Amino acid sequence: MPRILVINPFPLDEAGVARRAAQSGHVALDPDTELVYRPVKFSAVSFMSPHDWLMMDLGVYEAGLTAEEEGFDAVVIDTMSDSGMAALRSVLSIPVIGPGKASMLYALTLGAKFSVLAQWKPALPRYRKVIRDYGFDRQCASVRSFDVEPDFVNLTEGKEDKTFPIMLDVAMRCVEEDGADVICLGSTTMHQAAEYLAARLPVPLVNPGPLSYKLAETLLATGLAHSRKAYPAPLVRKDDLVHDIVRAAAQSA
Amino acid sequence: MPKVLVIVPFPMDADNLAKRQAQMKAVRLGPDIAFDFKPVAIAPANYVSQQDALLADVGILEAGLTAQADGYDAVCIDTVSDSGMNALRSMLDIPVIGPGRHAMLTALMLGDRFSVVCMWDRWRPLYTKTLAELGLESKCASIRSADLQPNNQELLGGREDEVFPVLVEVAQRCIEEDRADVIVLGSTTMHEAHAYMAERLPVPVINPGPLSYRLADAAIRLRLSHSKTTYPTPLTPRAQAIAAMGAAARAK
Repeated sequence: MPRILVINPFPLDEAGVARRAAQSGHVALDPDTELVYRPVKFSAVSFMSPHDWLMMDLGVYEAGLTAEEEGFDAVVIDTMSDSGMAALRSVLSIPVIGPGKASMLYALTLGAKFSVLAQWKPALPRYRKVIRDYGFDRQCASVRSFDVEPDFVNLTEGKEDKTFPIMLDVAMRCVEEDGADVICLGSTTMHQAAEYLAARLPVPLVNPGPLSYKLAETLLATGLAHSRKAYPAPLVRKDDLVHDIVRAAAQSA
Repeated sequence: MPKVLVIVPFPMDADNLAKRQAQMKAVRLGPDIAFDFKPVAIAPANYVSQQDALLADVGILEAGLTAQADGYDAVCIDTVSDSGMNALRSMLDIPVIGPGRHAMLTALMLGDRFSVVCMWDRWRPLYTKTLAELGLESKCASIRSADLQPNNQELLGGREDEVFPVLVEVAQRCIEEDRADVIVLGSTTMHEAHAYMAERLPVPVINPGPLSYRLADAAIRLRLSHSKTTYPTPLTPRAQAIAAMGAAARAK
């Protein structure tokens, strides 16, 4: 039975984790797949600067570090930023899936160009950076924000009437003005809007969280995991140090 | 129960079709999904020239054209050339999975660069075509061949000792000399060598056929299909004419 650890990148309470876990309602998983949600102990408060990205990398890394010895078969990181993914891959042999790069690659299975629908303007620099880093400049039609300040715990619940039509309007501009063949939701927190948008857009919409669960199952079903050549193991693992500094940071908060 | 049509790109008898179907054993599939394997009626003898590519496109389009009307939920094309995929996607709303494109994009989920290992050098244009379509040429570390003529009916049967070690050796060169992080098998007909290679190589080895079955399953569960802006529907489909082509080829 595949057990998959899903790491939430914010130190959420139980209700917050439940809201994230609702993403699994968007897709039929194999009946024997088990998802275990675990929030990080420590992270960034906002998510708009290299400082924030680094704090989240560390928080996610710490939360997933022991996944393999705990008996998990795969790790999924519940953020389009793929925070902590590279470091986790360097120490784990089980598949580690981040929905960010994977949803852009998946979008290219469906169409020639994709756009990313981002939450607000401060989120744009990071998407532009990773698209450049991944070498997807030619495949990315645009990154547009719908300019609503994010609530990482509850993006849309109770805000459907106001937020969803704005999201749709911006996604339509990606299609009509920028030539997007596929829209990628810019955050796993946007999953509540996925069905509304998918029903109204003329192009496919990639909902990153549910996609990442399916990709985890796919890798497990085909016996694949990341390449050790791309993610070389450290010569010396510093697990105790990582646990100590993250615990200290969490307690100071 | 979801049903997937797997289009086999050559006409073949039941014994050889079974060798294609054996790919199903290399992947764990969901509990309630069925795969039907269907050989094409129109086909080239092999895939080594533009004539062959054209006939392959036509044959696979013909074989898959009625898949949606026949109640299938997805189509897989059993060739890494992805022949016929573009035309079928323009005619069908259900997912059409080409293992070449999907294998390359999955490889990039696992590492930064991949190499394609194929049987002979005459298959090279099959991969450069997809790389050009994707615009991801820079992610391909190399395309290397074992320089052995393939057999698209018998596959590798009886030639294991001759072929398998050469494929491993070629893949090793991709990893060591070309710095490939991931190896993609250049043909679904090479599936019989996959387990042998995966055991002996230090990087992931993608078996494109089995991967495509699982990705068909994923696309169905995610309710995701290709974009109609990339694969626009024709104004005047020639479905009847295409069916007539199939009938003419079958009558021969």
